[in-house]
Amino acid sequence: MRHTILSLALALLSAPTLAALDIEPLARTCNGCHGVGGVSVAAPIPSIGGLPKAYLKRVMKQWKYGERTSITMDRIVKGFSDDQIDALAEYFARQPWVPTPQPAAEAVLAKGKAAAGDTCRDCHGLTGNDPDVDAPLLNGQWAQYLELELMKYRSNEFKMPHRKMKKAARDMKPDDVSAAARYYGAQGK
Amino acid sequence: MDPIDRRSFLKSLTAATGAAFLCIPAARAAQPKARVVVVGGGFGGASVAKYLRLLDAGIEVTLVERATRYTSCPLSNEVISHSRDIQSLQTGYERLARRGVRIVHGEVVGVDPAGKKVSLADGKSLDYDALVVSPGVDFNYGAVAGLTPEISETRLPHAWKAGAQTLLLRKQLAAMPDGGRFIIAVPKGPFRCPPGPYERAAQVAMYCKHHGKKKAKVLILDANDSFSKRPLFEQAWKELYGYGPNGMIEWVAGASGGAVEEVDADAMTCRTTFDEFKADVLNVIPPHHAGKIAKTAGLVNSGVWCAVRPDNMESTAHKDIYVIGDACAGGDLASNNPFPKSAHMANSQAKVVAASLVAKLNGLPPPVPVYTNTCYSVVAHDWGFSVVHLYRVEGNTWVYVKEGSGISPVTIGSGKDAKPVSRLHRKIEAQYAAGWLDNLMTDAFG
Repeated sequence: MRHTILSLALALLSAPTLAALDIEPLARTCNGCHGVGGVSVAAPIPSIGGLPKAYLKRVMKQWKYGERTSITMDRIVKGFSDDQIDALAEYFARQPWVPTPQPAAEAVLAKGKAAAGDTCRDCHGLTGNDPDVDAPLLNGQWAQYLELELMKYRSNEFKMPHRKMKKAARDMKPDDVSAAARYYGAQGK
Repeated sequence: MDPIDRRSFLKSLTAATGAAFLCIPAARAAQPKARVVVVGGGFGGASVAKYLRLLDAGIEVTLVERATRYTSCPLSNEVISHSRDIQSLQTGYERLARRGVRIVHGEVVGVDPAGKKVSLADGKSLDYDALVVSPGVDFNYGAVAGLTPEISETRLPHAWKAGAQTLLLRKQLAAMPDGGRFIIAVPKGPFRCPPGPYERAAQVAMYCKHHGKKKAKVLILDANDSFSKRPLFEQAWKELYGYGPNGMIEWVAGASGGAVEEVDADAMTCRTTFDEFKADVLNVIPPHHAGKIAKTAGLVNSGVWCAVRPDNMESTAHKDIYVIGDACAGGDLASNNPFPKSAHMANSQAKVVAASLVAKLNGLPPPVPVYTNTCYSVVAHDWGFSVVHLYRVEGNTWVYVKEGSGISPVTIGSGKDAKPVSRLHRKIEAQYAAGWLDNLMTDAFG
């Protein structure tokens, strides 16, 4: 009898709890700017579907707690609970990574490949599809977005807490920044 | 079904691809599980049609829209300033059709909520199990003496629905002499795109500054006493174009007699409570109300707008009819944070309706609604900013979530330590604006 009451109580409790944790309605609101499944069709805005969970979690929490400057996202994530952020990171990490290879001139690609080999390869891989566990994929990410993000790393106006990334971005020559962004943007799977 | 089964069913149902339901055999698909009719093919209507099909391809979705092409209002001020081609804001309905949305190009002239039927101008009718009305706004021309739809179309464009009037205003701006006066008459709110008139002022000033019209004036005659993103606009106007009686842009508040009451298209003048102003270009935006069909259908029950339920946007006037987009009155009215009438807001409301309808039609528990808005304004090629909004529903009322809302920073830090926001920040935001539009258009129409 006690057992029955307990399971009944559990059943009653779990229905609304599960509903409250359903992240898809919230995840769907991200599609407006980042595309369905986190596949952006717009060059200034990153694709986020398929990025590593650890990376997505970390940046969203850094924005939320004022440790990292963003342009728009740091305002948006402050309205989400830590649990929602974790669930969003898990949701988007589960989506397939869809590279959008963007054409670039041969000379730019060669220059970008050299810069990527010198500076980016260690954490992101030479074609950007083999990153460290908490580093983002770069293959077929939008080059315009990558360049804007690198400008933030190179500027003193933005709080960018990843020291290794900051140093790497600042050590690059301005030409190499743009070439590396285009090189990674040109990569496919 | 125990709760766990329901949960996994719901998850497969809401998978981004909707793959689970694309497998329904054709014989079963021929007998839809429900018929949903969507009236109006703007951001709201297109988004709800798409998401219904994404979440459950067993639902038959019919979208009724007069036009075969849609022109986005967001960023159409860049067309006026010759910074953007209008084609870049246009899309058709082919991609929605490929998703299985039945597209009917026609006009809904009547709604029978009891018989669950809409009638079209060509005499045909459509039965529905659920109806989504997303009619946008219509204009109250009678509120401004001397203004008629014909005068707006030919001489004093409002250009508040992107299209022919946007192009007319663009032509008028190009033809304006140096030293000319461009007047923007802003109606009493709420109106579509709250930051729109002020972004337009900046875009017009940008055009004048770079096209040999440095002595031009942009005069905003406003029926309201404040406006959206005001500190950001005033900062940018001042820095880029000069703001105030000696600057290129000047703003007259409603309390200072800014409300335009009468226009004379022959004399090119407009009259406010206190003054008469002569213009070279007269951009008069009339007050708005919910699109005509909302009134015909008996859905207008909150002033000139349609009241809806917070959990699923269902009309409070009629069951099984949902009103989304600019025509609805929603949001946290208690804290004076209503839903802004924006494309992104309509897109977000559409997703709430789609998820709620799909759950209901499949006998599943209602999803937890969340409403978001992100809206960018571009005041120069390299200067943009935005506002974000987040609303939750608690105890069947909307709650504006302040922590997840707000405008771009005006300064970094505040008080004595305040530093200006870097130009790089503003430049990145101008680029995000263009990207936001492309992704939002694709999320709705793609």
